[in-house]
Amino acid sequence: MSEFLGYEREDGSIGIRNNVAIISTAPYANDTVKRAADIIENAVPITHPLGRCQTKPDVFQTYRTLLGYGTHPNVYGTVVVAHAGEIVDGDELAEDVAETGRPSESVNIHRQKGVMNGLKATVNAAKDIVQDASNQNRVSADMSKLTFGINCATSDTTSGLCQHKATAGAVWRLIDEHGGRGCFAETPEFFGGENELADRAINDEVRQEILDRVENWNQRLQATGYDVRGAQPTPDNMDGGLTTIEEKSLGALVKSGDGPIQDIIDYGAKIPDASGMYIMDTPGHGAESVTGIGASGAHFMVISTGQGHTLSNALMPTIKITGNPHSAERVPEQTDVDVSEALVGDKTFDWATDQLWDEITDVINGKLTMSEAMGESQFAIHRIGPST
Amino acid sequence: MPDRYVEVVEPEDNVATALRELESGETITVAVGDGERTVEIPEDVQFGHKIAIEDIAAGETITKYGKSIGNATEDIPAGTWVHIHNVESNYGRGDLAGDTETAAVSE
Repeated sequence: MSEFLGYEREDGSIGIRNNVAIISTAPYANDTVKRAADIIENAVPITHPLGRCQTKPDVFQTYRTLLGYGTHPNVYGTVVVAHAGEIVDGDELAEDVAETGRPSESVNIHRQKGVMNGLKATVNAAKDIVQDASNQNRVSADMSKLTFGINCATSDTTSGLCQHKATAGAVWRLIDEHGGRGCFAETPEFFGGENELADRAINDEVRQEILDRVENWNQRLQATGYDVRGAQPTPDNMDGGLTTIEEKSLGALVKSGDGPIQDIIDYGAKIPDASGMYIMDTPGHGAESVTGIGASGAHFMVISTGQGHTLSNALMPTIKITGNPHSAERVPEQTDVDVSEALVGDKTFDWATDQLWDEITDVINGKLTMSEAMGESQFAIHRIGPST
Repeated sequence: MPDRYVEVVEPEDNVATALRELESGETITVAVGDGERTVEIPEDVQFGHKIAIEDIAAGETITKYGKSIGNATEDIPAGTWVHIHNVESNYGRGDLAGDTETAAVSE
């Protein structure tokens, strides 16, 4: 076991950042959230187009995801902003956040009698929480508390040959040597490798669940009546030499290593406490899969990219690694770790893993990632069914 | 000496990945498991793209990582660039799903 410096939470989790989240429950509260976050130092706005006129599966998924952000280990406290009465209820969300011991306030624009009063209430609530958060110091914490998220982004043929090997090496180092957790996702990117992946499940139930969820995605895509090529693989994947979704998948799975899979969990669900590797069932759409993994409570994410990508997240720092020497040169501000010397130079994949691990230990102790320094983040909740 | 910049992942693979730009007219030797194979390159191939390392007939499986990544849509002679123009996928093929009603959408 090793230690790092993090922020203790009352619910027993440890944060690697001390953010204050301002969360919108519906599109009609987004502007208030963004304006408040512009005014308040270090407040993170969470806005989205969902939360109203959704069917129940989407309501549950949206709520679960927003609660995951409101109670994320990297979050000190939360302000929830609702427009009016919504099926994703702002008061309920704020109460559920408060149950984890975090400062939590609920603002309702209708109840405040308008946008200006709603903005004032949001700003007042957020400024108090931000000031309190600034008074908290990092303390020594055990690395077994950490969850390591993994995602691909603009994969190319170098991904499976190089950078994913370093990513797999680092995530299994956290699991095997430090007792932490890992989580990868993007179920349609298991196509072609699903049997070998399912064989890594810790029991038959999890094995069958993996196969069922992969088949469910294949059926959903077939039901469109179109060839999925163009969406999977994407045009930038194809520019990078990836020809089919199977080729993309077989490369993508390299980043998960070859160790046992504990479970496959729903989109946006919390990752269990037990050490090991988990899968979250998400689309391959990066903004949606990363948002889902963020809601799970993953502390940081390694984005293993081929051609380079701006993909990042508001609350979960993202460390971008590439093994493509042209990408590292072409998009330097989208590359935290360049391990291309392991692909086209004389370095080993163990060296590549060490490079990534060193960056991870810096980031969990407070070093800003490239996308944090650049002020970049996306938030996109995966939707299941129609709006109503 | 096999070219270290043209990588075959598994010995059963019938394609190799170019980790440098390949030029038309080159003769390349690739390491395949413990052995090696030599092919002529008939057209330029970009970094990261694939070439066939043996003759592949239309309909045959394209193998990489030791597994199927799709099927050849035409005969692919050894050395030839292998990509979306001559390979199709076996997943997410709504266009081939017979009993599926295509949604009414504008293209």
